[in-house]
Amino acid sequence: MKFFIDDLPVLFPYPRVYPEQYAYMCDLKKTLDAGGHCVLEMPSGTGKTISLLSLIVAYQQHYPEHRKLIYCSRTMSEIEKALAELKGLMKYRSQELGFEEEFRALGLTSRKNLCLHPSVKREKSGTVVDARCRSLTAGFVKEKKERGEEVDLCIYHEVCQFDSSGLYYSANWVSKNLDLLEPHNLVPPGVFTLDGLSRYGEEHKQCPYFSARRMMPWCNIIIYSYHYLLDPKIAERVSRELSKDCIVVFDEAHNIDNVCIESLSIDLSEDSLRKATRGATNLERKIEEMKSTDAEKLQNEYSKLVEGLQQAEQAREEDQFISNPVLPDDLLKEAVPGNIRRAEHFVSFLKRFIEYLKTRMKVTHTISETPPSFLTHLKDLTYIERKPLRFCAERLTSLVRTLELVNIEDYQPLQEVATFATLVATYEKGFVLILEPFESEAATVPNPILHFTCLDAAIAIKPVFDRFSSVIITSGTLSPLEMYPKMLGFTTVLQESYSMTLARRSFLPMIVTRGSDQAQVSSSFGIRNDPGVVRNYGTLVTEFARITPDGVVVFFPSYLYMESIISMWQGMGILDQIWNYKLILVETPDAQESSLALETYRTACCNGRGAILFCVARGKVSEGIDFDHHYGRAVLCIGVPFQYTESRILKARLEFLRENYRIRENDFLSFDAMRHAAQCLGRVLRGKDDYGVMVLADRRFERKRPQLPKWINQAMLDSETNLSTDMAVANAKNFLRTMAQPFKSRDQEGISTWSLADIERHEAKRKAEEARMMNQETAPVHQMNGAPSTIQIVEDEYDDDIDEDLMMLDAQ
Amino acid sequence: MASQDPRDEDEVCPVCKSSRYLNPNMRFLINPECYHKMCESCVDRIFSSGPASCPVAGCRKTLRKNRFRQQTFEDIGVEREVDIRRRVMHILNRREEEFDSKRAYDDFLEQREEIIANLVYRTDVAKTEAQLQAYAQENIQSIKANQALEEQEATSFQKKILMEQEEARMRQQIAREEYENERREQQATREDFLTRLASGSAADVAAITHDGHKVHLKKSSARRSEEDRIRQKQAALRGTEGKRTGTPLAMGETPGATSGAGLIKGLRKIKTPEPEKPYDPFMGLVPGKRDYYTQLESYPYAFLDKLRSDTTVQAGGYDLQEYYSRTLLEAFAGLGCFVQEEVAQREASSALGISKPAATEGAAMAAVGRNTA
Repeated sequence: MKFFIDDLPVLFPYPRVYPEQYAYMCDLKKTLDAGGHCVLEMPSGTGKTISLLSLIVAYQQHYPEHRKLIYCSRTMSEIEKALAELKGLMKYRSQELGFEEEFRALGLTSRKNLCLHPSVKREKSGTVVDARCRSLTAGFVKEKKERGEEVDLCIYHEVCQFDSSGLYYSANWVSKNLDLLEPHNLVPPGVFTLDGLSRYGEEHKQCPYFSARRMMPWCNIIIYSYHYLLDPKIAERVSRELSKDCIVVFDEAHNIDNVCIESLSIDLSEDSLRKATRGATNLERKIEEMKSTDAEKLQNEYSKLVEGLQQAEQAREEDQFISNPVLPDDLLKEAVPGNIRRAEHFVSFLKRFIEYLKTRMKVTHTISETPPSFLTHLKDLTYIERKPLRFCAERLTSLVRTLELVNIEDYQPLQEVATFATLVATYEKGFVLILEPFESEAATVPNPILHFTCLDAAIAIKPVFDRFSSVIITSGTLSPLEMYPKMLGFTTVLQESYSMTLARRSFLPMIVTRGSDQAQVSSSFGIRNDPGVVRNYGTLVTEFARITPDGVVVFFPSYLYMESIISMWQGMGILDQIWNYKLILVETPDAQESSLALETYRTACCNGRGAILFCVARGKVSEGIDFDHHYGRAVLCIGVPFQYTESRILKARLEFLRENYRIRENDFLSFDAMRHAAQCLGRVLRGKDDYGVMVLADRRFERKRPQLPKWINQAMLDSETNLSTDMAVANAKNFLRTMAQPFKSRDQEGISTWSLADIERHEAKRKAEEARMMNQETAPVHQMNGAPSTIQIVEDEYDDDIDEDLMMLDAQ
Repeated sequence: MASQDPRDEDEVCPVCKSSRYLNPNMRFLINPECYHKMCESCVDRIFSSGPASCPVAGCRKTLRKNRFRQQTFEDIGVEREVDIRRRVMHILNRREEEFDSKRAYDDFLEQREEIIANLVYRTDVAKTEAQLQAYAQENIQSIKANQALEEQEATSFQKKILMEQEEARMRQQIAREEYENERREQQATREDFLTRLASGSAADVAAITHDGHKVHLKKSSARRSEEDRIRQKQAALRGTEGKRTGTPLAMGETPGATSGAGLIKGLRKIKTPEPEKPYDPFMGLVPGKRDYYTQLESYPYAFLDKLRSDTTVQAGGYDLQEYYSRTLLEAFAGLGCFVQEEVAQREASSALGISKPAATEGAAMAAVGRNTA
């Protein structure tokens, strides 16, 4: 269907649009017009991606600026899904318009997923694929080939290789493609899914990965993972040339702060240090070799470094393997300090640094310190100063390039150490070093790990906000909305949460606070292993297994708790009872085992009485996997999924948030727990024709209700926030019976789906309303409204009450 | 530190061959003369009665007991390098601000690295050592000054860190107290509300509920504004403290060195400020000093010679010197003025139309002088 938002014609590839989709598009357009950042929360399963894409494509095509869209998503399957939707949209557009628009959209993912080389693509680990690919495609390898040496090259890469003048390096591969391939024409216009790109690459014998990389400047839409924009190590290389007026979208962004933090955090273990030493020794040997064979090259590098980094920079290409983890605005504009200018000095410098780290690892108590104090201690012991440390990563890159190292994966740990050195010397604030000598409290054999943790999510994302004028953060669960601008340090022009319009009540959120024996249930530390509580949880699960058709998903706060509760249920005979109704499957930390469990679960839901899946609120299942329709008819959240509060890293982060952003410890913990709980609940409802029961089973949820996303909160009746197990079961039974009645899509029309006429009616109404408001404002209001009903039921009276046992009990 | 590692159970002392398995408390020591490792009991046994030669075969170094110490780094090579580095850095401790350019400083850093590498890999040891010694003797003062500076920096940094920690602790405590207060208050309101509900009649319920809610809101907003106020105060406090702590680092940056070193190139020429002279009211004008001549005690002139001894002339207070001075001044007056030039100048400026009577200029200058005075 085609409709107008203000003056913008939007082509929407479906005959009906949801009201919230329409509102979403209106707000999106407002943001783009205003030129700013926004935070939008849209219920899961209401077609967020397609409304986003159709509006932005319409925007791009209608206005002469043709602003580029960078769409970031979390997982590869989500990228693929978005690309497929975009493909459908473009097909629809060309049908409607009657001509094909000049339009390019590509997805980018790692080499591992895109590689076509017959032997390289069989490698399992991503880093090995990267390393092998580089050894076949790097610039110096090609130079060797041209000199007539016997080296392997990747035939797929050769085709899309050309030098700056647009001519190709190796004529024999190119002759057949010469007329077709120009730098901006590696792939024809249109939308390519990742699969499609691979197929195209196979047909034309050209590497999909490099085609996509080279094509990025000419694309209208780029779809890739967060890391290509957030991780400074990658972003600097991949996303450097993107222009300022790009529209950046982070989809499924509820975890964006954690992604930011992870991208700047480094963990070093004793083993990796040992490997790094080996790497340094190897480097030393290589330098000696090179000195005897090709001393000139080292001398060249040296003189370049003397001149300054700028010149060295020019040699930068995509075959470079380590990049500077420092953000672009801090990029080092100075020359490399004299004491690491010579290759051998630099290696001895690295060795000294690694030895120092090893010495630190020998301590048997936990240490937490700031980068400045770490640097002083380092200087006292080894005379390593801050400045050369900052240049570590850059210097190592240059050295590796000079030495023409091929088997780069051997140097991975060394690179990590260098990255660590650069980061620790660059940032004074927002980072902390934590040394944990033992893996767990009970362990006696030391296995020290040095965590270099970023505490401030704003550091990694800052360049994105600085650089791009419109950044859109959107997800199904972003409540409370004001938390994100606060944590990520930006201002929004718009933050909005949409509710879900429904023709019938298609999901039933409930809070269960008591068991059938009226005793309170909670996963708080003090009572979580109480047999009474465990039994009550058991009855809850059994009852729901009995009444729910097909699939049931149960979420626990942690693996540890899940294991203990399952073993207790086994002792109580509760598992045997569940067994009567459903097959039981359990998620484990092992990815392969879990995916097997998931597959079995789906099979069981499709055939027979269905299954029950036990999983963890922060695990893989809770994040990316949908339980649509019969795969999930009920979801139970057992306990509030708080983080493990005793972790040093979390403590440091909480303190940082309190000191710098004025976010209280409890507020953050509770926010974090509730966003994960909401994520879990959202798994079950993937569309308007879907239905499901959502149960939050913990007495503490009652107070946290306002922190749920608006669409869940609105659907929850006040009478359903303080239920006991049997009441909840009765409610759910009733609900499921109602849902089983036939439901025609015609019933939804005008309410939860809009046709063109409905949109026009809505617009007319809105305009009339606006006009009325204008009139009202101009004519002063005389009569004061009489005291509005004095009887006001204050439902959330103690909502901001402090959750006293949260810190005290969970923390133990 | 290294010896406390419980994992290497089969570590053996290279001298007495006793293993950690039998003696779990064994500690290894090294001597910076030769860096050979041996256990503590061996050190006691061999070196208690005075200096002896190293027991490791082939090493003939004479060692003393008091120089033995535990090793810091696992790698003996690095241990040795750091020792050498410590010594060299102690001597070659020039700072970045003492150099003309960044490039010069970088060159210095590289040179220092070279020297250390020479000592570590035992190439040209004698020459390098000689260079070092020579430099140390030449630049004793600057070395000492820089060392003092470094120490000062370290202590001020330590102080700053301590202060920051203390502040963080205080803030945490305040936050916790705030928290407690809030909780207590809320509990009190709730209790109060309940008692009122319990004692009041059924008709009041609505009013009490409403009241309770209002009070609650009012309190929370009042608390919030109070918190804001306190926070602002804290922030202001922190700002001033930051300024205060910032000063000691900036101070004391006067380079105390005097002479440039032969070893290091690119050092900034250090200008020692001239010592302040006593106050001179004539601004450098020496009374009785003349530009073109010096006045002598007497000039051979017959007519005057007579007067010198003539008491009748002398009695009136006639001073020959006075006479000399006046005549000479008259003779040389105007020698520094070049009329031609001045005339040309005046004509040029009058042609441009900016001629200014000298008198007004002088008056203006005088006025300025008065103002400043």
